[in-house]
Amino acid sequence: MGFISRSVSMMRYRVKGEIEGAFWEAVDDGVRKYTFRSVDGPGDEVGIGWTSIEDFTDTEFRGASYVRGNYVALGLRVDTVRVPPRILEMHVKQEMKKRLAETGRQRLSSSQRRELKEYVKESLKKSTLPSIQVFDLVWDTSQGLAYFASLSIKARERVEDLFKRSFGLTFIPLVPYLRAEELLTDSSQRRLLENLTPCSMVP
Amino acid sequence: MDFLDLLREKAFLGREFLTWLWFKSDVSGGRIEIPGGKVVEVTYLDRMTLDLAEAETPQSVTLKGEHSELREGLAALREGKKIEEARLSLRSSDNEFTTVIKSTWLSFGSFRTPPILPAQELGEDESAEATFLEKAALVEEGMELVDTLFRYFLELRISDTWEASELPALRRWIASET
Repeated sequence: MGFISRSVSMMRYRVKGEIEGAFWEAVDDGVRKYTFRSVDGPGDEVGIGWTSIEDFTDTEFRGASYVRGNYVALGLRVDTVRVPPRILEMHVKQEMKKRLAETGRQRLSSSQRRELKEYVKESLKKSTLPSIQVFDLVWDTSQGLAYFASLSIKARERVEDLFKRSFGLTFIPLVPYLRAEELLTDSSQRRLLENLTPCSMVP
Repeated sequence: MDFLDLLREKAFLGREFLTWLWFKSDVSGGRIEIPGGKVVEVTYLDRMTLDLAEAETPQSVTLKGEHSELREGLAALREGKKIEEARLSLRSSDNEFTTVIKSTWLSFGSFRTPPILPAQELGEDESAEATFLEKAALVEEGMELVDTLFRYFLELRISDTWEASELPALRRWIASET
């Protein structure tokens, strides 16, 4: 469920780093450079990038529509395909028979089998419908905070990577210790925090 | 310390926070008074997972149900387990928030804010922006409540009061059968 829904699962990130030059221009460049598009190559991912937070098919961002006050609101769209294993197996077997007949050999080496499987998988990917996932990202530029609407490790890795590539800034998950360092502003408090060890609560 | 070491070695902080917060909520009838005068109402709802962080093999127990079932969590605390995640509600003034806090990441599952009132008399784009900004303000308000409670815990945890009175009171509560 997205950020605007009644119920949303989310992680908080601290945004680290500085944007050089004009801030909003750099943001616009980053969004447009990494707008959702198809990608080639091995793996299940066939498309990734930013979309409008309201409409995952809108990648035009007319009038910098991702800007909401001090916030940047984006959808991270990830398209993946998963060739059904039995379909893949069937096509690999057919292709293997064909190759053996053409070459007159008894069997293929393990590296040839691996290459054949990859080749078949890549060609089947083109005729398999993708699964589309969209995760909302809300970046509070005034506080250097971001909310990402997924707890999935894979989705988090993707947004951390894409954010870095888009804006040159790093996402640091605000885990308890890091948030604690921020909440305790006094240096003597932070030293005490650093030296804390787990305590036993058993009576 | 790199991030993964920090995540592993300092994970106890979030678990101690959630465990302490349950104690604090239970002994105060759900009304936690923060030094400075603010009151946050905290209720542990119908789901809680406790585990033993130091064990070589994971030993976790998940409790589901109402108040009386959750009190079985006290038995798990007596075994040295601490709260890894819990569903709870937080309220201050008129606004109530519910969420599942996972202690390792301080992440917020199924975070529910009060409903947003539909923005009338605005165009479609303005209405979308107004709705978004209202939601963002509510999310910030909910996060501020969590931070307020976490700061209160941290200030106690690093003070002499922790060993002198807070931890002994927490242990007495864990020992109680009521």
